[in-house]
Amino acid sequence: MNKLLTELKDEELIKEFQDSNTLEAYEILVKRYKDPLMNFVYRFVGDRDICTDIVQDTMIKFYLNKDSYRSFAKFSTWIYTIAGNLAKNELKRRRRRVIFSISNSDDERTPQIEDKMFRSPEKLTDGKIRNEIIEKALLKVKPVYREVVILRDIQDLSYDEISEITGLAIGTVKSRINRGRSQLQKLLKHIYKE
Amino acid sequence: MKTIYNEKQNKHSKMIKDLQNLPKVETPENFEFNLMTRINNKNFGNVENSKPVFDWIKFLAPSAVVVTAIILLFILLPTSEQITDPLLYQAQKLDSQTIVSNSILAGKEFTKNQNTVKQNSNSTTQKKSVSPNRTVQNLSPLLPFWTSRSVSLDDYINGGRNSRNLQQGNVVHGGEDSAPLDRFFVAEKPDQTTLKKYRAHADSLRKAQLKADSLKKVQKMP
Repeated sequence: MNKLLTELKDEELIKEFQDSNTLEAYEILVKRYKDPLMNFVYRFVGDRDICTDIVQDTMIKFYLNKDSYRSFAKFSTWIYTIAGNLAKNELKRRRRRVIFSISNSDDERTPQIEDKMFRSPEKLTDGKIRNEIIEKALLKVKPVYREVVILRDIQDLSYDEISEITGLAIGTVKSRINRGRSQLQKLLKHIYKE
Repeated sequence: MKTIYNEKQNKHSKMIKDLQNLPKVETPENFEFNLMTRINNKNFGNVENSKPVFDWIKFLAPSAVVVTAIILLFILLPTSEQITDPLLYQAQKLDSQTIVSNSILAGKEFTKNQNTVKQNSNSTTQKKSVSPNRTVQNLSPLLPFWTSRSVSLDDYINGGRNSRNLQQGNVVHGGEDSAPLDRFFVAEKPDQTTLKKYRAHADSLRKAQLKADSLKKVQKMP
């Protein structure tokens, strides 16, 4: 039975979970989506512990509200929407905390991109450091643009899927992706010299 | 449109490649175990409580504004009964004016040098007297205002204010002589055509009276 379940598509698995409350179907879906969701949320929020909590909450939401899923939608877009909303809530909460905490300095609030002027070109070509810089720059992009850029360029989702997740028109998705990319490129102008 | 996006994509191609090559972040090893433990223990934390709650503040704030606006509208806007156009009121009064033409009075007192047009006793709007040479002698419009509180707008604008006008607020009023209106009013001189009309009316009455008298005299003759 278990082997058979693993061969099922996402939509078939959730149907099984909805109809028969089969916990194995739920566990398979969790296994399939925990890492992609973790990657998405981490790129969006930038804190590993908080991301783990968000992904856990996403899975619990999925468990509790399994009946709110409708078969005409793709399961992946549905679960990404839940995770995205929780991540946005976390960002909002953080922003509120930043507003109310006077003692916090700017350095603590937002991740800063290291001054690239002090890095030698050899160091910049070093993949690890380069990735680090890109990650930090990505967190500086406006959340509305960041979300779509992550979904498109990191998660490799189609425009249709992104449109479904964000609830935006495809044209809006495309323009936001471009704006996000432009913002990111500006932040990384020392790496990507035109 | 597509080409624009493609061009832009080409512009960012290096960066997109780097984004795709960013290391994948994975969940911790105990993720599933922790999740299933939470589910088995029904420890759903904040997730369970985060169902959409009806936000009373969000609902009440705009509705309070709307209700206040409606109440203010009812309080501040005068009802149709209260709206009286002073100009309209004046015109109505003029129309309803009747010239007293009592035949007895006309027979005995209607003399050449007493060619007075009387106003209706109820009419308080305007007094006018026509002299024998048929010129308007006294044109003192009795406006429905309390005179002590009235302001001549032209004088006021031209700077010819008097102390009486400036001390309007100090006027103490009592008795039955109440002013029906207390607002700006543009006083107009009586219309010449209206005066002509009344004059013609009075003339015709006079002629009719003379005819009647002459007829009576003819009848009395043997």
